[in-house]
Amino acid sequence: MTEQTRRDFLKHTAAAGSAVVLAPLAMAQEAAPVSMVICRYPEGGPVEDNAGVDAMAKTMAEKAIEALGGMGRFVKKGDAVWIKPNMAWDRLPEQAANTNPVLMATLVKMCLDAGAKSVKVGDQTCNEAKKSYPRSGIEAAVIAAGGEIVYLDENRFKEYSLGGKKLDKWPLYPEIVESDIVINVPIVKHHSIAKATVCMKNYMGVIGGNRGAWHAEMGTCLADITRFMKPKLCVVDATRILTANGPTGGNLADVKRINALAAGTDIVALDAWAVELLGHKPEDIESVLAGSKEGLGEIDYKKLAPKEIQLS
Amino acid sequence: MTAKRFGKTMVWLRRAVQIASVALFCWLFWSARFRDDAGPGPFTNLLFDFDPLILVATWLSAHAVAGGALLALITVAVTLVFGRVFCGWFCPLGAIHHFAGWLDSLSRRKRRKAQPYNRWQHAKYYLLVALLVMALFGVHWIGVFDPISQLYRVTATVLYPGAQYAIEDGSTAIYHADPHVGPVYATTVTEPVYKFSRDYVFVTDRQAFRNSALIALLFMTALLLNLYRRRFWCRYVCPLGGLLGWLSQRQMLRLTQAHGACKECGRCATVCPAGASPEKPGHWRAPECFGCWNCVPSCNFNAIDFKFATPFRRPSEAKLDLGKRATLAAGAGGVAALLMFRLEPQAQGRTYNPGLIRPPGALDEREFLQRCIQCGLCMKVCPTNGLHPTGFDAGIEGIWTPKLVPLIGYCEYNCNLCGQVCPTEALKPMGLKEKQQFKMGMAVFDRTRCLPWAYDRECMVCEEHCPVADKAIFFKPAEITRRDGTKVTLKQPWVDLSKCTGCGICEAKCVFRDLPAIRVTSANETRHPGNQPVLAGFSGESYFVNDTPAQSGSEETTPDPYGTPPESSNNPYG
Repeated sequence: MTEQTRRDFLKHTAAAGSAVVLAPLAMAQEAAPVSMVICRYPEGGPVEDNAGVDAMAKTMAEKAIEALGGMGRFVKKGDAVWIKPNMAWDRLPEQAANTNPVLMATLVKMCLDAGAKSVKVGDQTCNEAKKSYPRSGIEAAVIAAGGEIVYLDENRFKEYSLGGKKLDKWPLYPEIVESDIVINVPIVKHHSIAKATVCMKNYMGVIGGNRGAWHAEMGTCLADITRFMKPKLCVVDATRILTANGPTGGNLADVKRINALAAGTDIVALDAWAVELLGHKPEDIESVLAGSKEGLGEIDYKKLAPKEIQLS
Repeated sequence: MTAKRFGKTMVWLRRAVQIASVALFCWLFWSARFRDDAGPGPFTNLLFDFDPLILVATWLSAHAVAGGALLALITVAVTLVFGRVFCGWFCPLGAIHHFAGWLDSLSRRKRRKAQPYNRWQHAKYYLLVALLVMALFGVHWIGVFDPISQLYRVTATVLYPGAQYAIEDGSTAIYHADPHVGPVYATTVTEPVYKFSRDYVFVTDRQAFRNSALIALLFMTALLLNLYRRRFWCRYVCPLGGLLGWLSQRQMLRLTQAHGACKECGRCATVCPAGASPEKPGHWRAPECFGCWNCVPSCNFNAIDFKFATPFRRPSEAKLDLGKRATLAAGAGGVAALLMFRLEPQAQGRTYNPGLIRPPGALDEREFLQRCIQCGLCMKVCPTNGLHPTGFDAGIEGIWTPKLVPLIGYCEYNCNLCGQVCPTEALKPMGLKEKQQFKMGMAVFDRTRCLPWAYDRECMVCEEHCPVADKAIFFKPAEITRRDGTKVTLKQPWVDLSKCTGCGICEAKCVFRDLPAIRVTSANETRHPGNQPVLAGFSGESYFVNDTPAQSGSEETTPDPYGTPPESSNNPYG
């Protein structure tokens, strides 16, 4: 299984590489799919302005997925889709501990429009799920968009063989792992040990067991789970980011309006882009470095020639 | 209509009311739960409010009653007119015992034998006297015996978790094994049942409670005793039955027993679950009678019937005679029990139990014990399964009162349900802001276990989960020399004493699962100034000019924990 995965990634990297090579060729540009898109509005604005942020999130998500070639590129007719946000904390959207709810709803709708059989949303929460799901705003938004909310059951985790560098076996949530595609939609946050938490760290919401034990060797563990999860599409919510006291947050003073969003197929590149927003170099973040060294993606995201969409 | 036919109608009506009362109890119990941000259902305390024993005992011990408890006066009024119909018709625990007795009668081929009046039925009155004397001196042990309290407790800590475990674990086992015959899968039945029960019946994640074994055992024993005497509990033990029996000595609805018509066949005695002597003309025992109407239709001669009489008319010859000496002895027994409970330094307030972390809003321990009726409702609503019944760690006096066990579940920052459902306000109902300020205890690092302190590894799981906005757990960098001599700078975690509320999420999430490396003790709890190692509201100011500490994030502005919360806490984000 491991070799299979690795081969997948080699192929993937080769594809990304060729995209870079082919980029200058005007003829080939349409043929080679875009692997990373960054949408931006001008920075700033009141943190509590939910309506404003929500509108931006919706527009940016639509533009970004469109630029990647539309949701149909990732979601096939009849697919079981799982969208994995950050909604682990009993916090309000403006506290930037959880992914923007409207972004989630927009993605759910796009998946359904692409013909998905089911679109489920769920996370292994840190606070009580029954409190975190509703307070994040994601529960209501996803249900309104036609998606399904799943409360993970502590007793339904199943041991999978990860065959990782550090982790041989670990309990994961079968309903997520066995989906046709898992779309990873984190919010960019400060984290006191990992320094930053974005896409790779978001996979911790798929795992059971003694999750805390990962923290002492975060980089390797995250590379292992990322390799296993075979990311196909990640969308990074940087409308509001949490700059301190993460990943829990709570204080609005720690929240910053970036008004940006990135989406793509290369998880390491997206994480690299996101940690720069928090003022880090990608090489200084262990998980990003591990991801790059393990061949899970490109740490120098600029090499992918990300398509930039400036909005106003 | 003959007495027999009317009696039959009344029996069926009574059965319907009993079923309805059990259904009402189930609904009320279920409605006490987390519902988004709307708080618990509005009537969660209804049954407690109608219970006059809780009213009297709480008033005796705490000299205060919750407002709604005055509804119990309705029960008293009804009892003065109709007798112990509360026991016969409305008490859900009584209905369950009634049902158990009925099941037993089904399984016996032979005709039931009469279970006539027995002198030991006085026991419940003596127990009542003893409990009320204890309450007068401030030991509120009424909840151990009160039927409503007992039913809530056993449902919350035994029946509900038991059913949840059976359904969830059973369906999960089937889900993993996935047995099927051809295209017919077992999971097509079990999965919908599992999902329905999870989403609509149990609502909270799976619960299990410490110290629930004794609660279960006592309940099972009481149920099994129905094999010996139908409604054994209600007849012999229930102190609420005793109180209502005492009130119904001159009840207006009375069983009239016609001397001439009665053939003394004793048939009525075989159906009487209360031992109220319907078979002895002129000796019907009003204080024992549940008013269940079983006896009336059982009589083939229409010799007995319920008729109204004025309370001034003398009731039957069999009046309640408890005896002065025995009653005094019961009172003395109560005092003796009370003294025994208090012969414990902790019960006298001389020591504090570090493991006794009370839920948010708990009153000062003595006052708390004077109000708590051990009903377990707070444990039922706790969304993290963090509240558990105590064993003897709060003394015998405090058995089955709630405590937080952070190893199992922590106190959710944005939740104040326990205080909202407490029927006697032993947990002060608090707004969310006030609750977030309330200190249940304080976290302490075990530096011999904590990874960055003892094993030179990074870890921040406790700090990550700390819900206080600016973190009650913070890091100080420290240079460590490893075993091989290499030096490394690690972040070592510390607790900010002024910010920590003792919610226990750090202990609940610590990577050490047997004995967490950060643990909460009751130290610094808001409710006990005597258990606070430092004065609340430390400002760091000093008269020495050069001793002003560097500006840190740890200043606290409120010296009075019950006072207005500091301004920063007015923001809705805590």
